[in-house]
Amino acid sequence: MPGPRPTPRPTRARVRGATIAAFVALAPLLPAAAVAVGTVEVDAALPYVCTLPSGPQQVTVRITAAFPERASAGEEIRPVDVATTVELPAAAVAGLTTPEATAVRAETRLAVGVAQDEQRTEVTWSGTAQPVAVPAEGALVLTTTGDAPSLTTGTAGELVLTAGALAVDLAPSAADGAATTPPSLSAACVPAPDAEGRTVLARVPVGAGASTGTPSAPPPSTTAPSSPSPSLPTDRPAPPTAPGTTRATPDVPTSPGAGPRPGGRGLATAEEEAPGTPAPRPDAPPCVTEKPTPMSLSAYVTGYANVRKLNGASLIPVTCMLIEQGEMQIPDTLPPEGEFHFTTLSPGNLSYQGRKQTPPFTATFLTFDFQPVTATMVLEQVGPITIDTLVRVIFSTFDNHLENTVRAPLVLRVLDVKVNGVDLDVGPSCRTSAPLTSPEPEPDKFPGKHLVLLGLGKIPYGQPAEGYVLTGGGPLTGTVTIPPFKDCGADGEDLDRLLTAAISGPDNHVKQIQGQTCSVGIETPPPDQCTEDRQPLVVPKPER
Amino acid sequence: MKKPLGRRAAVATAAAAAACVLAVPPATAAPSTVWTVTPSPVGVSAANTANVVMMIELVPGNGIAIACSRSSFSGSLRSATGNPATVGTLHAVAFGAPGAPCTSVLGHVTFAPATPWAIAARDHTASTGVTQGHLGDVDLRGTVGACTFRVRGQLPATYTNATGKLAVTGTTGGLTVVSQAGCGDAAPVGASLIITADYLVRTTGTTLAPAIVGTHP
Repeated sequence: MPGPRPTPRPTRARVRGATIAAFVALAPLLPAAAVAVGTVEVDAALPYVCTLPSGPQQVTVRITAAFPERASAGEEIRPVDVATTVELPAAAVAGLTTPEATAVRAETRLAVGVAQDEQRTEVTWSGTAQPVAVPAEGALVLTTTGDAPSLTTGTAGELVLTAGALAVDLAPSAADGAATTPPSLSAACVPAPDAEGRTVLARVPVGAGASTGTPSAPPPSTTAPSSPSPSLPTDRPAPPTAPGTTRATPDVPTSPGAGPRPGGRGLATAEEEAPGTPAPRPDAPPCVTEKPTPMSLSAYVTGYANVRKLNGASLIPVTCMLIEQGEMQIPDTLPPEGEFHFTTLSPGNLSYQGRKQTPPFTATFLTFDFQPVTATMVLEQVGPITIDTLVRVIFSTFDNHLENTVRAPLVLRVLDVKVNGVDLDVGPSCRTSAPLTSPEPEPDKFPGKHLVLLGLGKIPYGQPAEGYVLTGGGPLTGTVTIPPFKDCGADGEDLDRLLTAAISGPDNHVKQIQGQTCSVGIETPPPDQCTEDRQPLVVPKPER
Repeated sequence: MKKPLGRRAAVATAAAAAACVLAVPPATAAPSTVWTVTPSPVGVSAANTANVVMMIELVPGNGIAIACSRSSFSGSLRSATGNPATVGTLHAVAFGAPGAPCTSVLGHVTFAPATPWAIAARDHTASTGVTQGHLGDVDLRGTVGACTFRVRGQLPATYTNATGKLAVTGTTGGLTVVSQAGCGDAAPVGASLIITADYLVRTTGTTLAPAIVGTHP
């Protein structure tokens, strides 16, 4: 193959050379800018560690895809033939499926880091699979296929794509096709320590304006222009539509670390740079509604949660909330005289890397007033979140009042603790023994333990709305009791009592700020609410 | 000339009556058939002078309130004949503006007007320089969360030559929900969207208000 190849080969990568070789004789006749490039096929088998109900398990994850061998600045780079294969060992299969399960359907979401010099972003390669039979014995091999978002960069330099966390969702079914109990299972996987240095999937050289390097041969259909164009190329076949893929638009999130791009240059997804894009992705975690319905909404939430015992507050980071707006209905019960009511009840879920939880957050407190303790935690959702809305129309004043009650069953999981800077091993299962609880105004209607946050708003007739409004967002406040901790500690050391004494207790004030929702499922979402790829555009700021 | 329906009590009690009065000129006045706009034709632009107040009417005179602190339109006026006569066209209409959305307790309401809308003149009082008529061909899509609705119809309006004020005084049945999705009982088909708004109209690029005069030769 002609020309230098500065691209270090990824793990088990091989170059598809046949097409290039066939046209090598024509290459000298073409100007450099008109030369199209070949593709590089990636075939990487990497060790991962998956957190399964039975505990952590090492699995093998095979990632295959094809990339353009190189690209010009501004040119689309779209991975094609993307497939992810997860090989679950027999020991893991027993823990992941129920006895009545005869088949399982898998979905995967692979986080792929994209870097160019100091620029960083992250995209998600989503895949789905047709149901496969659960083997009576031996490993379960699940292969998903799907679309990967395209990338463009306005600057020259090597683009490096790296495999990251993998979320695997499994939907087991019985022989009669019925769902099993539980109906779905999820596993969060990360590259194993021995994968270090092997997770680079591809390195794509990006030339300044035109493809650089020794020209390689064009494919037969090439009608490349004589100068490079930032628009999407027309001489490259469209990516295949993978079987089972349900999303028409791949999600193209950027990572929280992705910084601004002065002048619109630097790393970007193709969707971000497309004409008419209303705004770039905000600096926030991905918030993708995988299978939107016309009633789908999404929003970011962030705020503070006090820990009264520690006389401090913990910042709950910007968290994605996916909501299915309920139908607005006139309730059966008669309203008070002089009022008209209607209500909605909407379900919602937290979403972070495929799991129903907040992103991890770290807080430092002075325990017992002298010991600095830094804890990394997440809030895990252990049941459905509901958003109960009451709108009151007051006849005498023409005012509208809104009472919005969010009920969220959340467990506080402690991932990591440092005391005076020294690691304290809390083990893998350190969490509150029950969900956080709040005083429940309607315990008969909403039983169980959950956090209750209340949002109040109104619109005085003729004036702008004030406070919390349903889809516009605003402050949600409540008071929470943190239950005792359990399963904290390692190597026989029981830290439950220490954490319980330091943190657990009642009357902890919580204030969360909800941002403007994105109307994900409607035909034309308002441009000031959603990004081009239908994620929330508005990122709220926490308030105390 | 009737007062706009911006007052709270008026919305509840006088909407239907106001609509009848606005639509029927005084019995003693001969209907105007020649409409002279000065200058003509002329481009105009306008902005609201107070909050635009809307209501999706769910029970008589009451319902979901919406307020827009910013609203504007641009279009053209021209002399015409007939009764009613189309003396103008609105080519661009906006409710809300970047950073100043229309609000309700359901959230920010985004409106997408489908233009052109017609400015129709029906009656003119020479002594006050006030023309009564309506905005016709009104077609407006609203979105709040997952709720989308479309209203169509007309809005009664009056124009005052001395000030350049265009007062829009919506009434029950003038502008109604013709379709909706995801709104449930909050914006049922058939419900009225009552809009009350005052705009200051100026010849585009000037501080001058155009004049509309109706006569019966």
